[in-house]
Amino acid sequence: MSQATTADVKLWGGGRSPFNVSYGKMMMWFFLLSDAFTFGAFLISYGTTRFFSAVWPDANHVFHAFPFAGEANLPLLFVSLMTFILIMSSVTMVLAVHAGHYGDRNGVIKWLLWTIVGGICFLSCQAWEWTHLHSQGAWWGSFTDAATPISHIEHFFNMKEPAVAAALPAHGMQATHDFYNYFFTITGFHGGHVASGVVFLIMVLINTVNGTYDQRGHYEMVEKIGLYWHFVDLVWVFVFTCFYLL
Amino acid sequence: MSAHHNTNSIQHLYEGDQSKLYSGVMQHHTDIASPESKKQVGRIWRVFWILLIVTVVEVLLGMYGYQWGMPRGLTNAFFLILTLFKASFIVSVFMHLGDEIRSFLIMVLIPLTLFIWFVIAFLADGGFWLHMNSTAVTR
Repeated sequence: MSQATTADVKLWGGGRSPFNVSYGKMMMWFFLLSDAFTFGAFLISYGTTRFFSAVWPDANHVFHAFPFAGEANLPLLFVSLMTFILIMSSVTMVLAVHAGHYGDRNGVIKWLLWTIVGGICFLSCQAWEWTHLHSQGAWWGSFTDAATPISHIEHFFNMKEPAVAAALPAHGMQATHDFYNYFFTITGFHGGHVASGVVFLIMVLINTVNGTYDQRGHYEMVEKIGLYWHFVDLVWVFVFTCFYLL
Repeated sequence: MSAHHNTNSIQHLYEGDQSKLYSGVMQHHTDIASPESKKQVGRIWRVFWILLIVTVVEVLLGMYGYQWGMPRGLTNAFFLILTLFKASFIVSVFMHLGDEIRSFLIMVLIPLTLFIWFVIAFLADGGFWLHMNSTAVTR
């Protein structure tokens, strides 16, 4: 008991970080917390709109295409691939952080390169998916014309459900419009994070190759960009659930 | 596990760059091929397999529910539990939050509890709006 008290006094007695983290790492955590609330607000806003809509597009019908697979009906397969790519890049990122802890420069370079490759693959997949949806008439502010025939939107919905089919004429347009606005805004905001993450990773890679972190004596910058990258993966876990599963 | 941050022995390395004190590289980690390092890498790959398997289970559950029908509330509950399960692994192992000292972990997690109110309040509001709106239509 008295030992714990002494440790406490030492921890908060000044002259060191009571949290045992450097200023930069703590600020990265604070930034990520604020970013979590931004993404959270987006997703909860999406959920609220969905809750007050009488019908809602069905993910199995919206996301069923795969590159070079033509008209094949493959629900959720492509987004599973995207999720796999992002998880994989998270693993290579944490391996880069690990190599950094051991001052292993070549290890850091190798794993950072793989992470950058993973990020670019993910962004390419997203570009394909956006292009595909755009070719189906979906974009920000699409589906606003009240005269649009029902045949233009019914393939986004699960028409096997009698309740959905019945409510579609009155509420389908508004729901499709809302769904795509949220889809492009949220996946776009996430994709923007991935894209800037790739830029940061390239900058850190250049510094690593130049030996900047060896001179500095530590690879904490790799750790900080790692936190950011894992956060982006974390957000995707929630985006994946909200848009593709629920 | 590998709390890479016991700073007491390295105070003498402080040269104005504060992060040297806390970034861990400066003390006991030198050999990337050491058993300790391999153990850590093993843990990373174990988490990778957990995340992958959980994601595959989620997708299969979604397809099964869609093809052969399952109560929507049940599948959704599964999805939410599995999502939080995945998130906890990413945060505690990949982001090393589990390796930080407890007070830092608590400081990060406490603000996130706001989400409990945030989600419940807003979704309830959306549901209530729909309820009001549809009764108005039938009236």
